[in-house]
Amino acid sequence: MNAPTDRDLILRAKRGESEAYGEIVTRHQTSVFNVCYRILHNRNDAEDLAQETFMRAYDKLETFDIEREFGAWIRRVAANVCFNFLESQKTSLALDEERDQDKSPSPSQQVEVKERSEQIRQALASLPSNYRLVVEMRHYQEMSYDEIAHELKIPLSDVKSHLFRARKILAEKLHAPNG
Amino acid sequence: MHLTDEQLNEYLDHETNEREQIELHLKTCHECSARFSDLQNLFLELDSLPDLQLTRDLSKRFNPSRELIRVPTRWFNLTVFAQATIALVALIIAIPFIAIYLQQIDTTMLVTSFAEVQTLWNTWLDALSTFEFESTAFELPTLPIVEMSSLLISLAGIFVVWIFGNGILLRNQIRR
Repeated sequence: MNAPTDRDLILRAKRGESEAYGEIVTRHQTSVFNVCYRILHNRNDAEDLAQETFMRAYDKLETFDIEREFGAWIRRVAANVCFNFLESQKTSLALDEERDQDKSPSPSQQVEVKERSEQIRQALASLPSNYRLVVEMRHYQEMSYDEIAHELKIPLSDVKSHLFRARKILAEKLHAPNG
Repeated sequence: MHLTDEQLNEYLDHETNEREQIELHLKTCHECSARFSDLQNLFLELDSLPDLQLTRDLSKRFNPSRELIRVPTRWFNLTVFAQATIALVALIIAIPFIAIYLQQIDTTMLVTSFAEVQTLWNTWLDALSTFEFESTAFELPTLPIVEMSSLLISLAGIFVVWIFGNGILLRNQIRR
C-alpha cells in the first residue's frame, strides 16, 4: 500500500485527525529543525522553535491552501518564527559578539571544527542575525529577492546588500588560507 | 572593466537579465572568472551542508494514541499482579461463607418474605395516600438470612481491594 501523500494527511488533519498531522510532523521535523538551527545556531532553541512552528501551523491549518507544497510552506513559517524570536531577543551587536566569543571552540571541539560542515555552521553562526535570515531564505528555501523582501518587510536593496555582504563574510571565513 | 560583486551574485541567483553579457565577459576575463569560481564554490558548500538530527520527536504531541499504547511499566505490572493475587485470596476466603449462606436459604421462606415485602409496600402506599401513618407500617420484614455479616465483610473486602487497586492503576490517567 502506498504511503499517504502530504495532501491526504493534511486533509485528514483538517478533519480533526491529529495523528495525521503527527505523521506530517514526522516527515518534516528534520528540515524544519535545520532551518531553525541554521538561523539560531543553538540546538535547544532550534528544537523549541521547530515545535512552536508545528504548533502554529496546526492552528493555521484551516487556512492552509491544500494546493501549496507543505514542506516549503512550513519551512517558511519556521524562518518567520525564528525571525520573530530574534526580533524579541534583539541585543546589541556587542552582546552578539560576546556570545560568539563565548563559543570559542575548546580543544575537543577543535577536532570537530576540522570538519567542513562544522566550519560552515560556525561561519553562518558568526553572521549578524539579519544576514543569516536572508542567507537561509535564499540558499535553503530558494526564495527570490522579491519574496524575501516581502517576507521580511524590508526594501529589495536591503535584501541584496545583506545577502552579498553575508556571502563576502562567509567566503572570507571559509576560504581564508587557514580556514 | 570588471564585473561587480552585485552582477556576479545576481547571475548565480538567477536574478539578472544580463546573463549573456556576463557569460561573455567571464569567458574572456580571468580575474572575474576566478571571482566567479570562488563565489560558485561558496554556493556549493552552503548547499552541501548536511542536515542535523533532532534529539527528540516533535510529532509526539500530535500522536496521543501512540502514548496510550505505550509499554506498561514494571510498577504497573507489579500492581496488576498484586491486585489479582489479593482479590483471589479474598475470594477463596469468601467461598466457605457463600456456601454456608446458600445452605441457609429456605426457598419457602423466600416466597413468604416476598409476599411480606409486597404487603408492606401496599401498606406504605395506603398510608401515603391517606396521611395516616401507623407505627407498625414501617417495620422491616425479616429476611431469611442468618449470619450474613461474615459474607458481607468478605465481599466488602474484595470490593475495597478492587477499587484501591484500580485507583493505583489509573492514577496517571486521573492526573491528566
